[in-house]
Amino acid sequence: MFRKAENLILKLSPPLVAVAVLVSSLAVFMWVPTDKALGISQRIFYYHVPAASTCFAAFIGAGLASAIFLKTRNEQWDHAAHAAAGVGMVYATIVLITGSIWARTAWGTWWTWDARLTTFLILWLIYAVYLLLRAFSQGNEMGPRYAAVLAIAGAVNIPLVMMATRLWRTIHPKVINNPQGGIQDPRMIATLVLSMVALFTLFLWLWALRMRMLRLGDRVELLLADHYQSSQTFSRSNG
Amino acid sequence: MFALIWKDLILEARRRETVTSLFILGVLILLVFNFAIDIQSDNVAELAPGLLWASIVFSAMLGLSRTFLVERENGCMTALLIAPLDRGSLYIAKFSVNLLLMLVFEAMLLPIFILFFDLPVAGKLLNLIVVIFAGSIGLSSIGTLFALAALGTRARELMLPLIVLPLQVPLLIAAVKATSMVLDGASLGELGIWGTMLAAFGILFATVGWLTFEFISVD
Repeated sequence: MFRKAENLILKLSPPLVAVAVLVSSLAVFMWVPTDKALGISQRIFYYHVPAASTCFAAFIGAGLASAIFLKTRNEQWDHAAHAAAGVGMVYATIVLITGSIWARTAWGTWWTWDARLTTFLILWLIYAVYLLLRAFSQGNEMGPRYAAVLAIAGAVNIPLVMMATRLWRTIHPKVINNPQGGIQDPRMIATLVLSMVALFTLFLWLWALRMRMLRLGDRVELLLADHYQSSQTFSRSNG
Repeated sequence: MFALIWKDLILEARRRETVTSLFILGVLILLVFNFAIDIQSDNVAELAPGLLWASIVFSAMLGLSRTFLVERENGCMTALLIAPLDRGSLYIAKFSVNLLLMLVFEAMLLPIFILFFDLPVAGKLLNLIVVIFAGSIGLSSIGTLFALAALGTRARELMLPLIVLPLQVPLLIAAVKATSMVLDGASLGELGIWGTMLAAFGILFATVGWLTFEFISVD
């Protein structure tokens, strides 16, 4: 089932990503009207928001896949979680960087301890540690399970982090579902949807690639172990 | 399960290593903060809750990382795992021991803290203790779960604070807010969302630990 999904994604996504990224970039840079209040800097929003939603989906997906992995012991699910968290981290980094650039022009500062910024930094740290834990437990057969428990705890924690930091304080603009202000122009909404599609298909592609990489890495390890074993028996029988 | 809790408590009562070192570390952290931040009588009320929790969190991390170290040093880990005891109970036992040790340590630290920063606590002490207790449940539930995982990696004790500190941020925010409200004279009922979050965090992570512990404790 994983092989099929992976092959399908790897076959379909390159042309899809190419078209979607091209069309959405054209929309972002040529077509969509410039925001009256914020000016040109608002355009970064079409990368910032889709990256953030994809990243949330990736982290929650990693948590779910980890739970299934613990239940079924099927390591394909472990690879799915590992790949989702890894690519999700790349997206989280994009969110932090684009957000920082935008904040510099709009708020006059690279960073403030606003609720959503803090939330994202915490999420970024949790999944950075997740990848670190994987690195530190490489070769340990329990490693994937430790990581799975961390991914579950991380996903369970996301709503709490969001709630806590939001109640703490916020100056982050609320643009979606906000009757006063926010984006109203249908062209802006269309561009946002296009960017969502582009960044999400790109995510799927990277995720499938990473899955394949992890699986092949496992196979290489197996083959190497096999090779060493047989070369040892060979030298022993010769000596 | 109670035998396990009892065993760990007797061990600690005889050696008094963990709680004593935690206490000294806690005082040291307060000392460091005293120099790092200029604490005056006019800002002490704002800063005190944060300082209290910072020293609790960092000291607790040290204690939590020792949870399974004792078993491993004495070669008892395998015995524990083959004992006819389900892994959920093993988790609950270790979690309770950590919680109790943490409470003893906090009971030692709190008077020093009040004394150092000259906090007016008359009439608020009971509420303050309830808040600290609720926060400790969350801290030890999550710490106990990952103490075993951290010990299994190459980084060992280094890994535990890395895992636990970002996960417990909501708990820390809620605990600091609730503590400063209590010190301002709020009753427990007035804590609202922060009180709920403190309790919810503890219950949530104790449940996650109880459910997932068996998967990481198979050797």
